[in-house]
Amino acid sequence: MGLVEIATGKVLTSFSVFLFLTVLLLVVARRISTCIVLFSAQSAIIAAEVFATGFQERLAEAYVVGALVLVIKVAVIPRAFFGLANRLKTSHDVKASTTPTQSVFIAAAMIYLSYAAVHSYGQSVHVPEDALAAAVALILTGSFLMVSRNKALMQMLGLLVLENGIFLAALTTTFGMPLIIEIGVFFDILIGLLLMGIFTFRIRDTFDHLDVSKLRRLRG
Amino acid sequence: MKFAINLAQALILILGAPLVRGIIARCKAFLQRRQGASIWRPYSDLAKLFRKEDLVPSTASGVFRVVPCVLFGTTICVATFVPLVQPSALLGSRGDFFLLVYLLALGRFFLSLAGFDGGSAFGGMGASREALVSSLAEAPFLLSLVAVAVLSSHADIAGIAAWTLGQNIFNISAVHILAFTSLAMVVIAETGRMPVDNPTTHLELTMIHEGMVLEYSGPSLAFIEWASAVKLHAMLALLIALFGPWGMATSASVGAISVALLLYSAKVALLIVLLAVIESGVAKLRMYLVPDFLGVASAVSALAVIFTTLVKR
Repeated sequence: MGLVEIATGKVLTSFSVFLFLTVLLLVVARRISTCIVLFSAQSAIIAAEVFATGFQERLAEAYVVGALVLVIKVAVIPRAFFGLANRLKTSHDVKASTTPTQSVFIAAAMIYLSYAAVHSYGQSVHVPEDALAAAVALILTGSFLMVSRNKALMQMLGLLVLENGIFLAALTTTFGMPLIIEIGVFFDILIGLLLMGIFTFRIRDTFDHLDVSKLRRLRG
Repeated sequence: MKFAINLAQALILILGAPLVRGIIARCKAFLQRRQGASIWRPYSDLAKLFRKEDLVPSTASGVFRVVPCVLFGTTICVATFVPLVQPSALLGSRGDFFLLVYLLALGRFFLSLAGFDGGSAFGGMGASREALVSSLAEAPFLLSLVAVAVLSSHADIAGIAAWTLGQNIFNISAVHILAFTSLAMVVIAETGRMPVDNPTTHLELTMIHEGMVLEYSGPSLAFIEWASAVKLHAMLALLIALFGPWGMATSASVGAISVALLLYSAKVALLIVLLAVIESGVAKLRMYLVPDFLGVASAVSALAVIFTTLVKR
């Protein structure tokens, strides 16, 4: 019993470091499949934090939310992504517009920035500073991935990383949103993914590639 | 007693180094479903080389002859800084991790000189690549050591190990994870292992370490090979001492020492298996991607140093 309590405490305090590691790896990854696996790992870490919060605050709802995260973000979305990448028959490259070294320094700067941003807030309200900083860093990295990667699939992945960050921010500040809202958000993500999947097919069929930097003019 | 143990652990580092290499080769052979050589093979290789004649290219200068001694000497010196079974080292003193980094750099500098001096095209190519890799690996190497030193408020490796030994194993901080990540990448680059350099090849246009030592033969080659084995073992021991020293003997009793030795062997075995899995599963990086690899290591180590201010606050 004591061991479980220590473990949940550790999950809440130290797992944000692993989130930072996934962030750093995401910005240097060169293959889409690596990014998808990293997103899956990131969601698994967040699911662990949800379960730990549920255990510590005695919230039965959190277990349901955690299970939803596990099913949808760790299993279903990555599988759908792999299927999409296979069926689009596109190259594995993420088409980064920054070199990995530049990206990782930008990511490091964003992590530091997120610490600086949450520092004053974390002291006035009693929330774990590491986890909140990780959430802000995820939001920033998601946006960075969306603007710096030219493959349309990476824009979807960036959006999902950003959403992970918002979810984590809600979890750390208010122990998660009400269950009905969480379910709505998950449904939203799935529908959004479906729409974006259809849209990437349309881009591919019209332009014969997925490079968003070349979408300069309209075509009928 | 303490001095005797310190001497013994330095000797274990130096004399056990070829065995570490042999076990890595055996693990890789197992993973690739080959028969593989015996784990004692590096010792017989060294013995064979020591009995052979030392051939020097007619164009080479005196530097070529001196380099094996300098390289072996600096590497032996590095091996005496690293604690193994107890948190103290033979020559450890305040600030020794700076000396460790730059003694290794000195050895590499002389080896690159020898690569140019040997007169073959491969030697020059290997040496220039070595210069690129080592200059890029130096910053993350030093920064990750500095991060751990600042965190523990100790300026020597043995002191850092002793401080980490006193911490709860569950109390690892962000600094430790980031510094470990960066130092592990540096170890791979410094010791010329797989994603950066292929240690098993002698005939490849992209070879780094093997290119530089191509002109050496006999006892000189034996000293260079032994030195690189000691370097690999010392780097693994450094990783263990800084990031996983739990189990080191705090008293000088026979029981504690033998338990510490057993645990140390288990930790090295774990790292060896990890290294073998990485080397069997990862393709060698293109030469132009190596700066990116080390750039990531630099960023992670810089982040580790920044995080020390957040953790210690």
